Amino acid sequence: MTTLGGRTLPAATRTPRRRPGRVRRRPPVVFLLPTAVLLVVFGAYPLLVLVQMSFSDVGPATIIGPWDFVGLDNYADVLGGAEVWRSLLRTVAVAAVLLLSNLVLGFVVASLLSFEGRVTSLVLSVMVFIWALPPLVSGSTWRFLLDDTGLVNAVLGLVGVGPVPWLSEPRLALWSVTAVIAWGALPFSALILRGGLLAVDPQVVEAAAIDGAGYWRTQVQVVLPLLRPTLWILGILTVLYAFKSFDYFYVLTQGGPGTATNTLPVQSYYAAFTDFDMSTGATVAVVAMAVVVALAVPYVRSLRREGDA
Amino acid sequence: MPVTPARRARPRTSTRSALVRLTAALAAVAAGTTGCTFSSAEAGSGDTVLTFWHYFQGAQQEWLERQVADFEADHPGVDIQLVETVGSQHVQRLLASTVTGTTPDLFINNIVVDYPTLTSAGVMLDLSPYWDDYADADQFPSSAVWRSGDAVYDLLPYNNLLGLYMNTDVAGRYGITEPPATLPELAQDLAAVTDGGDGGLALSAAPSVEGAWLFAPELLGEGIGYCNFSGPQVVDSFTRLADWARDGYVPQAAATWDQNASWQQFMTGRYAFALNGNWQLGNVGSADFGYVTAQYPAPADGSSTVYPGGEGFAIGATSEHPDLAWEFLQDEVLSRDGLLSLYEAAGSIPLRADLADSPQLADDPDVQPFVRATRSTAEWPDNTSTAEMQTALGEAVSATVSGQLGGRAAARQAVADIGQARSEGDVVGGEACS
Repeated sequence: MTTLGGRTLPAATRTPRRRPGRVRRRPPVVFLLPTAVLLVVFGAYPLLVLVQMSFSDVGPATIIGPWDFVGLDNYADVLGGAEVWRSLLRTVAVAAVLLLSNLVLGFVVASLLSFEGRVTSLVLSVMVFIWALPPLVSGSTWRFLLDDTGLVNAVLGLVGVGPVPWLSEPRLALWSVTAVIAWGALPFSALILRGGLLAVDPQVVEAAAIDGAGYWRTQVQVVLPLLRPTLWILGILTVLYAFKSFDYFYVLTQGGPGTATNTLPVQSYYAAFTDFDMSTGATVAVVAMAVVVALAVPYVRSLRREGDA
Repeated sequence: MPVTPARRARPRTSTRSALVRLTAALAAVAAGTTGCTFSSAEAGSGDTVLTFWHYFQGAQQEWLERQVADFEADHPGVDIQLVETVGSQHVQRLLASTVTGTTPDLFINNIVVDYPTLTSAGVMLDLSPYWDDYADADQFPSSAVWRSGDAVYDLLPYNNLLGLYMNTDVAGRYGITEPPATLPELAQDLAAVTDGGDGGLALSAAPSVEGAWLFAPELLGEGIGYCNFSGPQVVDSFTRLADWARDGYVPQAAATWDQNASWQQFMTGRYAFALNGNWQLGNVGSADFGYVTAQYPAPADGSSTVYPGGEGFAIGATSEHPDLAWEFLQDEVLSRDGLLSLYEAAGSIPLRADLADSPQLADDPDVQPFVRATRSTAEWPDNTSTAEMQTALGEAVSATVSGQLGGRAAARQAVADIGQARSEGDVVGGEACS
C-alpha cells in the first residue's frame, strides 16, 4: 500500500490467492532440457574453454592439441602491464556515461513518450528502428557523419565552429564513441522505462495531481520512486552492456587513435584475433567477465527479490 | 535421422530421440554459422567440388570468378565454390577449419602478415612435391615461394606494393611538376601545399597493420626492419612524423583511416599526395584530376625500399583434392595468361620473369614505379609474432599522428613493444628474427 496526502492508495499489483485443496503439478524436467542443452553448448562450454585458455599457453602453433598449463602467468603478465588498467578505466568511463544517459535521458524520453498520440507513435517507431539497426551499420554511418569533412562538422561550420576531430583527437575519441553507443542504447532504456511508466497505477498520478503536484514534480517525486526496481535492473544491464561493447569501437576507431579507445573487450579482441595471442585475449576477457559477474550477482538477487514480491 | 513407425510407437524413447535430433540440429546450426566449413564435398550431381576461400573485392573478385569459370569450362564435372569471407576474420576462420579438420581446398591469404601464423597452425599443405615438378618454377623469383625449411607452403605470384600518387592539379598550383623522390623533398612540397591551404598527404595511420605497412618504408630505406627495430633512425622517423602531423602535412584524422578511407580522401581531390598501393591503379583512372605515380620517397640517406605485399595462394592441409587444386593454381593463377589478366584487371604486378618486359607493363608509365619497386623490396621477418609487431608499430604511428604521443615517446614505445613481441615469437624457419 502507498499513501499520499492522507489517502490510502491501492497496491500496484496483487498476488492471486491459491485455491485451497488444489495441488499444483510440477512441470516435467524434460521441458528444461532444450534450454539446458543450449546453455551448456553455447554458454557454459565456451566459458570453460575461455577460462582454460587463460591458464594455458595458446597461440597459432598450439591451438591444436593439448595446451600447456602455465598457471597464473598470463594473469601476471596482463595485470602487471599498464594497458589493461587503462583499458579498465576507459571501460568504467564508458559505463558511467551510459548509466547517466540510459537512466536520466532514458527517463526523460520515456516520460515524454508516455503520452498517447501520433507523434509518440512516430518517435517510438524510429526508436525501435534505431534499436534494431546492427551496430556495424549505424557505426559506419556515424563514422562518415563524424569525419572531419562529415555532416556534423559541416553543420558546425555553418556557425563558425570546427572542424572538430571527433574520432582522431585522443582526448575526444573515447567520448565520441561513447556518445554513439549511448545513442544506440537510448531506445532500449527509453522503451523499458516507458513500459515501467505505463504500469504505474494512474490513480497514483491522479492523486498527486489533485494534491497540486505539477507534471515533472509528479514524475520525479512520485513516479520515479515507483520505478526504482526497473531503474536498478536497467542500471545493471547498462553496466553489463558497457563491459561488452565492442562493435562501435571496431567500426569507428579500431581502438585508436593510438590506444585511446582501447577498452577491455577491444583489447581482448585485438590480442586474440589480430595478434593471435589467444592466451592474453582470453585472460583480458576473463578479467572483464569477473567484473561483469561481480555486477551480475546483485542483478540476479534483485530479480529474485522481485520474483518473491 | 528418419523416425520409423516402430519408434513412433514407443513414446518412452521420444525424449532421447528428441535430444539426439536437437543435438544434430545444433551441430548443423553450428556448422552453418561457420559459413564455410564444408570442404572437398562430392556434390549430389556427381561433380567434384572444390571450395575456395577468398576476401577479394571488386576487380580482383571479378578476375577470380572469370578464372574459376574458365577452369570449370575446361574441366567438366568440377565445381569450384567460391566462399567470400570477411578479410579481418579470414585467418580466424582458417584456424578454426584446421581445428575441425575441414580446411578449404584452396584459399588466399595476406601472406606478409599471416604466413607465420598459418604455417605454425598447420593450415597449409606442403606444395613442394608439386612445385618441384612445376615446369615454370624457374620463372618465379625466390621471394614468390614461401618456404619453411624444405617445405613450400604459400605462393606469392604477384606483388602489391606501396608508391606515391600525386594530384598534378593541386601540386601544379604550387609549381610542383615532378613527384618528390625523397622524404625531404616530400616535406618541402607538403609545406608549400599546406601553406597554400590545400591538403597534404593522405595516408593510413590506423592503429593496425595498415598503419605499420604505410610507415615502415620510411625506415626500410635506412636498413631498419622489424628484426633490428631500434636506433636513432627510429627516433628521427617518428619525430618527423610528429612534425608532419603538427604542421598539418598529415591530417589528424589519418590516425584512424585505413587504406581505403585514405584513398577515398585522396580521390576527393583535396590532397596533393597519397601513399597507397598499385591496386588503386584501376581506380585512379576515374579521378577528376590529373595524377602521376612515383616510388615511395626514399629517406635522405637511404633508398626507396618497401615491403612486398600481395596475396598468397595455398592449398588446405586437409584438402581431399590437392591434385585438382594444384591444377587450378597452375592453370589459372601462376600461368602467364592468368597473371597478365590479373594485372590488367587490378594492377597487381606479376612476378613471372617472362612478363617483366611485356608491353602491357613496360608501356604504362603509371605502373613503372611499382615495377621498379619490386626490385628493391625488404625481407619480411620470419617470426610467429609478425602480426603483433606490425600492430605495435601501427599503434605507435596512430598515436603520433593523433598527438597522443610525441615523436620520441612513440619511438620508445614502438621499440619496446616490437622488441617484446619479437622475443616472444618463434622463428618458423629460414633466417632467424628473434
